[in-house]
Amino acid sequence: MARKRKKNEMQAGELNLTAMIDVAFQLLNFFVITSHPMTVTTNLDVFRPSPDTTVNPTKPPTVLRIMVLNGGLTLNDQQVSMSMLRDKLDFITKGDKTQSVLILCASDSRHGSLVEVLDLCNRLGLKNLSVISSS
Amino acid sequence: MRKHPDEYLSGNLTAMIDVVFQLIIFFVATVSLQDTVSDQRIRLAMAPSGRPVTTKDPREVYIDVDKSGQIRIARFPYSHREVAFILKKIVQDNGNAQIPVIIRGDEYARHDAVKNVMDACAAAGIWKIKFAALKERGG
Repeated sequence: MARKRKKNEMQAGELNLTAMIDVAFQLLNFFVITSHPMTVTTNLDVFRPSPDTTVNPTKPPTVLRIMVLNGGLTLNDQQVSMSMLRDKLDFITKGDKTQSVLILCASDSRHGSLVEVLDLCNRLGLKNLSVISSS
Repeated sequence: MRKHPDEYLSGNLTAMIDVVFQLIIFFVATVSLQDTVSDQRIRLAMAPSGRPVTTKDPREVYIDVDKSGQIRIARFPYSHREVAFILKKIVQDNGNAQIPVIIRGDEYARHDAVKNVMDACAAAGIWKIKFAALKERGG
């Protein structure tokens, strides 16, 4: 009797781990495939002016001209810092988010500075952004 | 009594094959092809206000510009003339449609290297381009 009980206890202790591991992997796959990682990249849209000569505007449009220099910025030929540029752009473009902004980049300027300016324009909701390279 | 050698091999292979397939599915599902074609050494500039990338166009062309000014597509270095030629060919193959071009420029790259890529886009008739940036710096 005592021997029979001992045998039953051993049978109860045996577990088929394979099936459990299979299910664990299935669950892992399910969560890995269905979860969406947080997006950390962004794309900043810019336009390059097309050399379209057929368009002849009757009046010159008002354009804000930001110049990205190596170690500085100018807004309509006035030297500004990034915080000043934000304040001035916010003031000038208040209510009018269709304002055209022309960003001129010096060839020796840092690409990061251009992205900072584009990000600032994005934050203010400005959509008509054009990038031109200046020598 | 010694066991016949076949008895050692008669284990249940089904479970092992099951686990191997699970691992294959796991690695196939988690591998990111985009990461393999773009240069991870490029340090993108920060743009916290940019819209997150939600949809992807399968025609997107990623052009990397590293801080030394080297232009790469799918980790292969090209001159700006070659980039212009490649873009022209892509535009022709897509019925002269506007192909989304995303420039992944290093934040310390000089603008003239990026300008060369933009000029190559212009030569191919692509006027709308995008600059890749990071919304937040990971790890």
